[in-house]
Amino acid sequence: MLGAFVRAFRTPDLRNKLLFTLFILTIYRLGSVIPAPGVDSVAIKQCLQNVQSGDAAGVYSLINLFSGGALLQLAIFGLGIMPYITASIILNLLTVVIPRLETLKKEGQAGQTKITQYTRYLTLALAVLQSTSIIAMARTGQLFQGACPPSSYLPDDGIVTLVTMVFVMTAGTCVIMWFGELITERGVGNGMSLLIFTTIISAFPSGMMRIWTEQSQWVFAIICVAALFLIAGVVFIEQAQRRIPVQYAKRMVGRRMYGGSSTYIPLKVNQAGVIPVIFASSLLYLPTLVVGLMGPESTSPVVTFLNTYFDPMGTHPVYMTTFFALIVGFAFFYVAITFNPTEVADNMKKYGGFIPSIRPGRPTAEYLDFVLTRLTTPGALYLGLIALLPMVALGSSGASANFPFGGVSILIMVGVGLDTVKQIESHLQQRNYEGFLR
Amino acid sequence: MAESVRRILGKPGSVSLQPYTKLLKSIEEREEALRELGDAELTAAAAELGNAELPYDPADLAELCAVGREAARRALDERPFDAQLLGVMALLDGNVAEMATGEGKTLAGALAAAGFALRGQRVHVLSVNDYLARRDAEWMRPLYELLGVAVSWIGQESTTEERRAAYAADITYASVSELGFDVLRDRIATDVSELVVPEPNVALIDEADSVLVDEARVPLVLAGAAEAAESDAAMAELVRRLRPRTDYVVDDDGRNAHLTDAGIDAVEKALDGVDLYSAEDTTLLPRVNLALHAHALLQRDVHYVVRDGQVRLINESRGRIALLQRWPDGLQAAVEAKEHVAASETGEILDSITVQALVLRYPTRCGMTGTAMAVAEQLREFYELEVAVIPPNKPNIRVDDEDRLYATPEEKEDALLDEVAEVHAGGRPILIGTQDVAESERLAKRLGNAGLECVVLNAKNDADEADVIAEAGTYGRITVSTQMAGRGTDIRLGGSDMADRDRVVETGGLYVIGYGRYPSSRLDDQLRGRAGRQGDPGGSVFYVSVEDDLIANNAPETRGYDVSSADGAITDPTWRRTVDHAQRVAEGQLLELHRNTWRYNQLVDVQRGVVMEHRRAVLSDDQGKRQLAVDCPATYEELIEEVGEEEVARAARLITLYHLDRGWTDHNAFLADLREGIHLRFLGRRNPLDEFNRDAVPAFKGFLDEARARAAEMFTEAKVVDGRVDVDAAGVRRPSTTWTYMVQEHPFSTDFESVVGKLKNIGGRTGD
Repeated sequence: MLGAFVRAFRTPDLRNKLLFTLFILTIYRLGSVIPAPGVDSVAIKQCLQNVQSGDAAGVYSLINLFSGGALLQLAIFGLGIMPYITASIILNLLTVVIPRLETLKKEGQAGQTKITQYTRYLTLALAVLQSTSIIAMARTGQLFQGACPPSSYLPDDGIVTLVTMVFVMTAGTCVIMWFGELITERGVGNGMSLLIFTTIISAFPSGMMRIWTEQSQWVFAIICVAALFLIAGVVFIEQAQRRIPVQYAKRMVGRRMYGGSSTYIPLKVNQAGVIPVIFASSLLYLPTLVVGLMGPESTSPVVTFLNTYFDPMGTHPVYMTTFFALIVGFAFFYVAITFNPTEVADNMKKYGGFIPSIRPGRPTAEYLDFVLTRLTTPGALYLGLIALLPMVALGSSGASANFPFGGVSILIMVGVGLDTVKQIESHLQQRNYEGFLR
Repeated sequence: MAESVRRILGKPGSVSLQPYTKLLKSIEEREEALRELGDAELTAAAAELGNAELPYDPADLAELCAVGREAARRALDERPFDAQLLGVMALLDGNVAEMATGEGKTLAGALAAAGFALRGQRVHVLSVNDYLARRDAEWMRPLYELLGVAVSWIGQESTTEERRAAYAADITYASVSELGFDVLRDRIATDVSELVVPEPNVALIDEADSVLVDEARVPLVLAGAAEAAESDAAMAELVRRLRPRTDYVVDDDGRNAHLTDAGIDAVEKALDGVDLYSAEDTTLLPRVNLALHAHALLQRDVHYVVRDGQVRLINESRGRIALLQRWPDGLQAAVEAKEHVAASETGEILDSITVQALVLRYPTRCGMTGTAMAVAEQLREFYELEVAVIPPNKPNIRVDDEDRLYATPEEKEDALLDEVAEVHAGGRPILIGTQDVAESERLAKRLGNAGLECVVLNAKNDADEADVIAEAGTYGRITVSTQMAGRGTDIRLGGSDMADRDRVVETGGLYVIGYGRYPSSRLDDQLRGRAGRQGDPGGSVFYVSVEDDLIANNAPETRGYDVSSADGAITDPTWRRTVDHAQRVAEGQLLELHRNTWRYNQLVDVQRGVVMEHRRAVLSDDQGKRQLAVDCPATYEELIEEVGEEEVARAARLITLYHLDRGWTDHNAFLADLREGIHLRFLGRRNPLDEFNRDAVPAFKGFLDEARARAAEMFTEAKVVDGRVDVDAAGVRRPSTTWTYMVQEHPFSTDFESVVGKLKNIGGRTGD
């Protein structure tokens, strides 16, 4: 395994790709800590500390997850890749609705290029929108919910300064978008995913520092060990698959000397990936939104109810149970819509493939369905547990909001990490070298 | 202005012609002085240019063009236009030159080839078929002779000796397939003296888009006869009793057949209640499937003939019997069982090469075509080639009408016949382009019935067709042709001798009618480009029906068109967009296919490179002998004493090569097997290509060591007979016959792309 890494660095153009990726990621991180012009960087750091130890910390954790704290620092890359991600999601949804986009999608690469172009335009629009609203919030002090006077971190709130800030942050998003594409094109891995990955792990050192200073050394050590085990466990399950052997019997295989079956259907334990968790989190964000709309101080029974059971701090059993149930449900739902055993069975039958000892057609479909259900059950439970684990383990100690190893982050981190390693590996393999993963 | 912006952005197809146009003036200035020279002096002037290394500096480039122009004027009585010289210069810089039809690509290519050859490069000029290779070589020969470079050509009938002599020339014209077959045959040579193809230097590709893009994914295959298979008469008999549609189903495209549930029951019952799909006995099902394939998919006198008690394949694209060819993997025996003839040797694929890999062997590549811009991005992606657009010598005045759209193919055909009758009445020559041979023959029949005499080309004999197409511009002539037929031949107005030109010009020049749009706009343009050559008048129009395959397959959701007139013509403008959309979908799919072939072949090419390099060392450097001397010193010493060093070297070479080739053939079969089912990995959210590589790399690990160990084993057991090591008795077997072919359709093709496409749809749009 180590040898493979060494070889990756010895292969000149792969080394260049890796170095290029690292270079871009470094610039990205730099831009995430440089404040936009007009911001008092010392003051805003102080505000950030105030707000993170305050009551509203939970609300910020999700925003910060995707911006790596850069947003609240009003950094030049403060908006992060969120506008781009949002734009991609919107366009993806629109392809279903707008016939013109659908036709484009079908035209293969040429059409895809056009859709990407639209995505970029939409990103730009969203970036303008978001930076304007963020800066407006910063100016009125809403950004820190009044925990910090705006005049301290924004000494000059003249229109020229504000417009410059909007301009800089929007440009920052465009640069990030470009970075992502550069990495995908000339580096290794998927640029967008790697940028998210960097953002997530960039929060680790400060998170660890906080635990180190706020908790005893023993707690720190336990958390470190637990985190390692957690990551190892996630990697293990993400890699786990059930291989259903398939044989193709259209021709005589004469004097083949190799044994075993090279053909199989790999079914992942966690076939759905991180998507159910993200769906569930977004759904559970709704109560917070409702509370925000009605005003947290409102005495309406709805707000009271939501505040009691669906507190965004997320430690109430009702909240956790709902979260868990949603994840499990979404996991099954996702597998059901993405894997159609009947179609797979028909396809195999048409091209002469079969699962040994099982007849093609309906029996094959039933068998696949059976295996898939049996496999998805532990997979879904695992997803739910991983997402809940940090809340359960740390809920009592009150450190959960600041705990860097949230379920979502770990799943994303491991997922992106594995994908990137696989890409490096496939580069190696194309040159006839063995990779590191089995 | 727009052009320079494109260049700054690095858009494809924007090679600047500026440095070349600058030289045109000095080339013209040299003309007079060169005209004074005698032929020998001109040859000497050309030879003078050979005293430096490539690339040409501007002064030499100008001199080359000037000398070339003068030589062409003397030898061919053609003075190259400025546009042609621009093409020459672009080619010498390793670009693809886009030059419209009739602009004199052949001459430009020849001057560039001479330019390379003068500087000591061996040039292979690749054409699309044998006929063009020979014609161009012979046509340009006087020019080459005047420039002092040797030229030759290769055809399908050339013998090994002729081929070797032809490759020894400075410039060799050959069709892509012949070159590829030579390369493949060299790969199984067992003696240095058997090698034919020299080290690749420069490839100059005529009709570059067709060779590099359309045919790039077509593998050239070298197959050999393996041992005889057993004829499975019982199974053939069993399958014969099955009822179509009830017991088995044949796909619409006639490429796959499979048993239904009833069919499985019937077969199992007939075989005394065995379980066809059992995990223990996996030999039965392939036998059933092969018999079914032979029975349901292969028809006597269409796919094969039975002659002298033997099954002979018919080469579909040529319509001739392929004497040596056999089906692989037991299918040959299954067909023989079906026809009750004795079982013969079965076929086995020894090695294959894609056109792409063939072209990429050459360190310097360049080419010319009429339609390069449309594939500029692919040329850049796959071949690192840039496109230089050469402006036409005279502006194009052809009139391209809008597509005429009809609801049904019948209405389209009726309208087309009316149009042909009307235009023909005025004597204007008409060229009708069809999608395939069957279509042209059907259309010709209808034209004949309507009293419209026409000539049909069916892509079976290149030389005859070139003659026919050359006359397509004759007054009152109607020609029906497929897209490829007669490509590379100019259509001159008034016939090939242009005797009747004025009368034809008056009618409006050649009128090109497309019988349906092609799967890419580039092919449409190729057809259109038949008319309007060198500023000639001409016209073109496409007749399209909504039910044409292109639209029905690629824009299937299209329904509810508005038929606006009685004859079924559709004038609704949104329909034009649908047609364009369908074409773009088809283009996208072809590109995806090309890219996939390319990606899947990358690793295989690396592995092949490893094997071939080792093979070369064994073949010409006695690597085998050295290895065996280390691996089994006792036997080695013994044999040296017994038969002498030279004979041991021969035996060592033959034995080592045998095991290398055997191993490579087996590895190839493994890869084919792996590829067959790799699309299933997609279901586990894995990238099939990565998975393919992941499995192919370990399978290749230890390949050379294993071959070496096997060779050593065989070497120790070799016996000496009459002072020679009897390698045949030891087990060295070469295929008794070999044959080559281009795979248009593989008999066992899984139709990989469409499967993945479907699975991707199953996989949904979520995730990635």
